[in-house]
Amino acid sequence: MEKRQVLVTGASRGIGRATALRLAGDGFHVSVHYRGSEDAAAAVVAEIEAAGGSADLLQFDLAEREQVRECLEARIAEQGAYYGVVCNAGLHSDNAFPAMTDEQWDGVVRTNLDGFYNLLHPLVMPMIRRRGGGRIVTLASVSGIIGNRGQTNYSAAKAGVIGATKALAVELAKRKITVNCVAPGLVETDMTDALPSEEILKAVPLRRFAQPQEVAGLIGYLMSDEAGYITRQVISINGGLC
Amino acid sequence: MPSAPTREELHAELAAALQELFETEPAAVVETARLYEDLDIDSIDTMDLLLRLRQSRGRHIEPELFRDTRTVGGVLDVLQALD
Repeated sequence: MEKRQVLVTGASRGIGRATALRLAGDGFHVSVHYRGSEDAAAAVVAEIEAAGGSADLLQFDLAEREQVRECLEARIAEQGAYYGVVCNAGLHSDNAFPAMTDEQWDGVVRTNLDGFYNLLHPLVMPMIRRRGGGRIVTLASVSGIIGNRGQTNYSAAKAGVIGATKALAVELAKRKITVNCVAPGLVETDMTDALPSEEILKAVPLRRFAQPQEVAGLIGYLMSDEAGYITRQVISINGGLC
Repeated sequence: MPSAPTREELHAELAAALQELFETEPAAVVETARLYEDLDIDSIDTMDLLLRLRQSRGRHIEPELFRDTRTVGGVLDVLQALD
C-alpha cells in the first residue's frame, strides 16, 4: 500500500520539526516545508530517511499567495494529493499596541492568518477528490484564546485561525476530512528562548515549558486513524495555563 | 463538427457522474430534484461535480455559472447553454 502523504509547514525547527519526525515515524511520507532555513530542513529530511522513513523538501513563503499556489499545484500534479496537512508555520513580532508598527501588524497577520488560506485553498479540493478522508491540523496558541499582552497582532491572527479551522471542519466533515486546532502554551523553542522564563512559569500550573515532542505527540494522534471522530475542536496543550 | 448533446444525453451524463462521485441513486436525479435538500449535494460537491464535468467534456466551465443553481434541471440548463 502506498504511503499517505502529509505536509508539515515550518518543519525545519521547533514544533514543526518534531511533528515531521513524529509523523514520519508513524509511517507517513512527509513533505518538510521551510521558508528560509534550507539546511535545517534538509537535516530533518536526512534524519527521517536515516530512520527508514521518507520525506521531501518544499520551499515557499506562506505570506506569498501566488508562490504558495504554484508550488503546491506543481507538487500535487507530480505526486498526488496530500492525505494530511499540519499548518504549523508562524511568526510573531510583539509590541505594545500603541507602539506596534504597520509592518508588525501586517507581517504577523499575513503569515499566520492569510497563511491559512494561502496554504489550504490549493490543497483542499485535491484532498476531497482523493476520496480517502484526511486530516488537517492547524496551530493556534494560548495567545489566540486568552489574548497576551504585546501580542494583539498574534492573538488576532491565531483567534482567526481558530474560527477558520472550525468553519472548515464543518465544510469538510462530509468528506471524512477532520480539521482541528492545537493551541500550545509555552513550548521550549526558538520562539520562547528570549522570554523571562522564571517569571512566566509562575502562571503555568505545571511549572515548566512543554517540549516540542509533546505537542507533536498530540498532533500525531489527531493525524491518526484513531482520531477519526474528532473534528472542529481546539485542543489546548499548555500545562494548565488557562 | 459533432452535434450538441441532447438534454436527455446530458441528464444521463449528470446522473452517471453523481452516482460515481456521491453514490447518488440515478432514479433520484429527476429534473425537479433539489441538489441540497433532496440529493445531499452541497456547494463543495457542486465544485467537485464541475471538475468531473470539465474532465469529461474537455472544456473549462466557470464555477460562477452554477452559483444560483438549485436543482438538477438548473444544472442541465447551464450545461445545455454551454453547447
